[in-house]
Amino acid sequence: MNRPLVVISALVLLIITSAIAGLSFGPLELTNNEIFQCVLFNCANEITDMVIWQVRVPRVLVALVAGMGLAIAGAILQNTTRNPLADPYLFGIVSGAGLGATIANLVLSHELSIALPLAAFLGALFAITIVVLIANVLQRMEQLLLAGVAVSFMLAAITQFILYFGEPFATNRVIFWLMGSLSRVEMSNFYVITGVLVISLIVITALHRQIDALLLGDESAASLGVNVNRLRLLMLGLCAALTATIVAYCGGIGFVGLMIPHIVRQIIGVTTLKLVIGSALIGGSFLIWVDIIARSALSNAEIPIGIITSALGSIFFLFIMVRSKNTR
Amino acid sequence: MTLQLQVDQLTWQINGKNILNNITFNLNKGEVLGIIGPNGAGKTSLLRCISNQQQHTKTTSSAGSVYLKGKLIRLYSAKELAQHFAHVAQKAEAIFSLTVMDIARMGLLPHKSLFAIDDDHDKAQIRLALNKVGLAHAENTEFNHLSGGEQQRVLIARALVQRAHILILDEPTNHLDVYYQHQILNLISQLGITVIMTVHDLNLASQYCQRLILLEQGQLVADGRPCEVLTEKLLSQVFKLPCTITHNNKQQGPSVFFSLPAEQLINTAVQNE
Repeated sequence: MNRPLVVISALVLLIITSAIAGLSFGPLELTNNEIFQCVLFNCANEITDMVIWQVRVPRVLVALVAGMGLAIAGAILQNTTRNPLADPYLFGIVSGAGLGATIANLVLSHELSIALPLAAFLGALFAITIVVLIANVLQRMEQLLLAGVAVSFMLAAITQFILYFGEPFATNRVIFWLMGSLSRVEMSNFYVITGVLVISLIVITALHRQIDALLLGDESAASLGVNVNRLRLLMLGLCAALTATIVAYCGGIGFVGLMIPHIVRQIIGVTTLKLVIGSALIGGSFLIWVDIIARSALSNAEIPIGIITSALGSIFFLFIMVRSKNTR
Repeated sequence: MTLQLQVDQLTWQINGKNILNNITFNLNKGEVLGIIGPNGAGKTSLLRCISNQQQHTKTTSSAGSVYLKGKLIRLYSAKELAQHFAHVAQKAEAIFSLTVMDIARMGLLPHKSLFAIDDDHDKAQIRLALNKVGLAHAENTEFNHLSGGEQQRVLIARALVQRAHILILDEPTNHLDVYYQHQILNLISQLGITVIMTVHDLNLASQYCQRLILLEQGQLVADGRPCEVLTEKLLSQVFKLPCTITHNNKQQGPSVFFSLPAEQLINTAVQNE
């Protein structure tokens, strides 16, 4: 058995273990036996049924697919832009979603459960459309990333302007949403994210050789028959849709797309299929554990998930910088 | 001899300036053709136009035709072209830690459908190509850890996996020392496939190319065997330097030696002071 296969098998086990742990943690103490009984057969009572099927299962499943999606989006963006620091957030997706959510909060103060994710999704797509239009004019990768950062700052500025003059309660709601949380997720969210994730995986599997060809440069890929600009725009659009869907339901969860592919490259490989499979498995497990920490670290409150991912992400990058300095 | 490529009155302009002007030549199967000329003569542009890799923008225009196996090159799809032409760049910079195997495997792309996975035949083909370039032992080595010569051999292995009929190389020995220059060109000349390459070093071109094309300011000024193209008169005229040709070894082609005129040497020395 070759090394990547052994590592992938181990990661599948990690996902299963993480999911079981995700179902076990929570204010209501349940034994493993009760959880297994409830998931596989019948729940012991109505409360257990409600806690497992309406709270913990949706939460674990959404954490799983959101982690997978964010990590895959980061992996694909890094390979298609040949930039290890490329991340869905660099392309203005979260700023766009934030602007959409802000406008929804101000215009529609009720019916927010549907309007907020929808507006966030549209805002994210609006942001990525501007970045893609600029990219089409510039046609250069370094400028595409800079355009993403510029669009991101511009949309964040508009959001802050609206919030500054807006109603304080709406401002609070938007700020809390931007910090990211899985506390309000439902099974329907899981189905929508899974749908986009499956479509993305099918497209990536079909085009993995073409994405790999980009790793040796645009000219090299073009000589192998790859339409470089079309492929890059398609992948950018795909990552935008995937991230926008996740951000719409879960809010801003940073660093997953940046950090996870970096780990996968060290242990599995750099080519697209290996990177995407590894990122999906590690990203899914990672977000389940982050969510466990978010809801169990404090006894009387839940920490927004985006705060934990950002804190872990920054520590991780400092560690990588120190390690690379020592090995130089 | 089977005719493989026909270039007919090819002109390529950027901002109204002729980069290539009315170039016409044919290429037969199995020939090793070297394109020589001073900087800015249009060597790389010719390579790009031949394989339809030139960038068309508002400021560029072209005239004339290139035929591959009797069919106009612009009628081929990008994938079909990649099945006919394999490119080896001067230097490739792999991002992340791509291995030798990862890069050689890229050569399968033009022959694979969207969801196809590598089968045993593909793996055998990659190993055969790596074996041919002498890198069978290094398939799991990181590309960026290899020497310049070894990296060039990996790119040639990728071209072999691509199963292209024509190998296109742009200054393949530019970043290499003398040992690797000869190693790479010897390997290329013994592959048995049609090769078109731009070469700066005229002695290497003389030694390893069966035929040479000499370009000057976008125009083809000579086309023939090395002994026909590498003449003192032609080279002095194109490179604007006094030139001496010697024929020490008939199998290796003529040797070229340039020297600066005495007054220019003095001027350069004075400027350096």
